[in-house]
Amino acid sequence: MPSLTDRVWSPYVAGVIIGLLQIPAFLLADTALGASSSFVTAAAYVASVFDAGASQIDYFARHMTADKYMWQSALVIGIAVGAYLSARVSGSLRPSFSAAWSRLVGVRGFWGRSAMAFVGGFVMLLGARIAGGCTSGHGISGMAQLAVGSTIAVAAMFAGGIVVASLFRRA
Amino acid sequence: MDILGLVVLGLVMGVVFGVALEKSRVLEPGILVGQFQFRTFTMLKMFLTATATGLVVIAAMNGLGWVELHPKALAVGPVLIGGLILGAGIAIAGACPGTALAQAGAGYRDALFVIAGGILGAMVYGYFKAEIDGALDMGDYGNLTFADLFGVPFWALALAFAAVLVVGIVILERWRSWISDLGADGTGVWGSGSGSGSGGSSGSGSAASRGGSPAGATPHGAE
Repeated sequence: MPSLTDRVWSPYVAGVIIGLLQIPAFLLADTALGASSSFVTAAAYVASVFDAGASQIDYFARHMTADKYMWQSALVIGIAVGAYLSARVSGSLRPSFSAAWSRLVGVRGFWGRSAMAFVGGFVMLLGARIAGGCTSGHGISGMAQLAVGSTIAVAAMFAGGIVVASLFRRA
Repeated sequence: MDILGLVVLGLVMGVVFGVALEKSRVLEPGILVGQFQFRTFTMLKMFLTATATGLVVIAAMNGLGWVELHPKALAVGPVLIGGLILGAGIAIAGACPGTALAQAGAGYRDALFVIAGGILGAMVYGYFKAEIDGALDMGDYGNLTFADLFGVPFWALALAFAAVLVVGIVILERWRSWISDLGADGTGVWGSGSGSGSGGSSGSGSAASRGGSPAGATPHGAE
């Protein structure tokens, strides 16, 4: 049996657990698993600090009020908590950034890597919002609903990732 | 369910999700980028398993009439161009939107910058949504599923596709075991996990690491 104190579970155990999360998502929250909409909720609240008109923009307003976005924001906060607990009890808390980065792109300092991380996060969410979903919403949930659009999104996602990763060194 | 109930539900589900992402090491940048470089297959194995499991449970719930489907729209331009940009961003960030939160929880502090950049990216899209969507408009076919396209019941096609995925997963595992995908210390990087070698040490020690314990013997904090 997988235990919380294990440092590693097989991707199959993890995949089944994540797939089963669709049951409470559909039955209780009346939506599918997703993550990237919560960034719009956060963005809408941040924007409304600087721009009084932000909450008048329909896209922001929707993400600030609808129940399913509150559920999803709680979900992503829970993801951080769960990963912390899992790493903590298995003695696997990570350093400030992965050793993979010095191998992949030669970046050695925390701030250099953090600048890259910021750019990556920006590009990632811009793309996710244009596509209307991310690896969870289009990927795990869209494919599990046989959605044609999500299948195209996943293929494009892998294509974009493969092209950029081919520019990196191999770790 | 009221809003408080939904928030508690979300938190509990998120904790489970976060544990799965940490334990499977799918949150590791070396594992995510390694998938795009075809060096490691942990991410694909987890993704296909989660998809197959989701297909079965959604087929059951929808087939029994308990739930409606929530497929996203087939807006050709946005899913194609947005997907490409998203994939490029995932490679640079070394994270997906969900795994960025898991990375931050597990201790990777650079993930906080992924999250901050992501919030800015979502904000820029929100302000320029009309212009961006207008520029990418190549037709919208609505919430189309392959079951609609082929005119078959959702549950039947979903179960059939799940069966195909399971066969694919078994072949993938036979070709390459999940343990051999993890790299030294479960980071998707082979050789020493110190992070000090930038290229020079690639290959050295990989044979030992591949065959060794996935849990690794050296602590992560050593920098």
